[in-house]
Amino acid sequence: MDDIKGRILQNENIVSNYYLLRVKLSKSMGKVEQGQFIMLKVPSSQVFLRRPFSIYEYNKNILTIMYRVVGRGTEYLSKACINEEIFILGPLGKGFKIGKRGVYIIVAGGIGIAGLCSLAKRLKEKALIFYGCSSEGEIALLRDIGVRNVNISTIDGSYGSKGDVVALLGKYLKLVRGKNIEIFACGPENMIKSLKKLIDKDKTPCQVLVEERMACGLGLCFGCVKRTFDKKEPYKRVCKEGPVFNLWEICL
Amino acid sequence: MGNLSIELFGRTLKNPVMNASGTLGYGKEIEPLWGVKTLGAYVTKGLSLKPHHGNPTPRVWEEKQGMVNSIGLQNIGIERFFKEYFPFFKQKKTPIIINFFGFTEEEYIECARCIKPDKYILALEMNLSCPNIKRGGMSFGKEENTVYNIVRHVKAVTKIPLIAKLTPEVKNIVGIAGSAYEAGIDGLTLLNTMPAAVVDIEGKSIPIKGGLSGPPLKPIALKAVHEVSKAIPVPVIGVGGIMNHTDAISFFMAGARAIQIGTATFVDPYTIPKTIKNIKKYLDRHGYSKIEDIIGIANG
Repeated sequence: MDDIKGRILQNENIVSNYYLLRVKLSKSMGKVEQGQFIMLKVPSSQVFLRRPFSIYEYNKNILTIMYRVVGRGTEYLSKACINEEIFILGPLGKGFKIGKRGVYIIVAGGIGIAGLCSLAKRLKEKALIFYGCSSEGEIALLRDIGVRNVNISTIDGSYGSKGDVVALLGKYLKLVRGKNIEIFACGPENMIKSLKKLIDKDKTPCQVLVEERMACGLGLCFGCVKRTFDKKEPYKRVCKEGPVFNLWEICL
Repeated sequence: MGNLSIELFGRTLKNPVMNASGTLGYGKEIEPLWGVKTLGAYVTKGLSLKPHHGNPTPRVWEEKQGMVNSIGLQNIGIERFFKEYFPFFKQKKTPIIINFFGFTEEEYIECARCIKPDKYILALEMNLSCPNIKRGGMSFGKEENTVYNIVRHVKAVTKIPLIAKLTPEVKNIVGIAGSAYEAGIDGLTLLNTMPAAVVDIEGKSIPIKGGLSGPPLKPIALKAVHEVSKAIPVPVIGVGGIMNHTDAISFFMAGARAIQIGTATFVDPYTIPKTIKNIKKYLDRHGYSKIEDIIGIANG
């Protein structure tokens, strides 16, 4: 795996503090699984470590990530200009495993959509998509999936159903009870917790893409762990054994 | 052509560059990028008698030009390491240094006792920054008599060369190194991370207390390497904030016989192979035939 040089083609402010970064890589990253991520060297001397980002889209050496400005790394990344040089390691980690199921459900909260967009595009009409966000503005993050294909809820009720996305999903799950379902989720920890509560009785198969502060992204430092129910080795590396985990194996 | 090989504990290493303990996983993780064969020696993640789960998150925090980590010594234990990973290093013909720790003196002794000498084990590196639970959690490496005792007792149970990795959080590093020397230490690794904390002003909390690593440590470690290598007649391995060959060469000139690269690998995972290549280029450019020729040449 090489540290691949790329050039920024686009670093667009989608809405409020959400951005879309498109990079032309100097060589191929190889095969990418949905749910995998990259480690990106932010082009600023003010940012020391690399930052992990889900692969939003990858096609013919063009890599796209969608991000929200949350700290120093993303702050400086948002200021990066077109044509600036950028270094990328990837694809990293283990992605989603797509088994044979009757119904696929994708549940995304806020910027969590960044890690699920490519899966939604791959599964197409085979997947039902649920998206929750705080208000109307973030609907813009569905630009590549299309709002028509998504069941939407906003906390303030400014678009779609009012309330949280797990409640919306709950209503739907009643209709498909007993069917062979698999859920793919990514979003804030509270969303994952209420999702777990919702499907706890049925123990519906569910894979979650999780987020953690990382240093290396390569499994070298053991900095980015997730606690699991494995008694022998409870802490698993998000960058190596994850970032996709079986919901029923992790502690929330 | 600049020869990078060095003599260490009676063996010849192909180059004087190692990874710092805990910054290259269990070794196999780096194979898709460049592979452990590149190293002069691989230093294991800190191992203990029994496996350790480590700390909850956050375990890492970026600081300006550095990072604070609190991994909590997560490791699979000595036994599993030998079963699952040691054969890999033999197959790669890569000598290893086994970094180990304990929470009591007895644990250190038991650890060292259970490791049998092997052609591919270059040395044992005892992490003396570990908290001593019998002494209120104060690290073993802070007092001269504690260092003397633990080194002497560990040394008595092993035939493998023994290195002490010292903490920077001491009044007199030369004094600590001297105590280790009197107790029979074979080498010294200087320095471990610096105890540090981070404050989150939004959450009004301290999200992490741990070890500071990266460039801020370099001048501190250089001073320790310089003073200790002048005063104590055992090989010194320099570590702390080495980001490139320039930093590495500074350590050799200050008196280090070998160096370790840690945090820099997270910034650029190719730092180690690049540094090895560029040290060689430096030697060639300056007409040195071997790395040995620059060790300890900086005076002042």
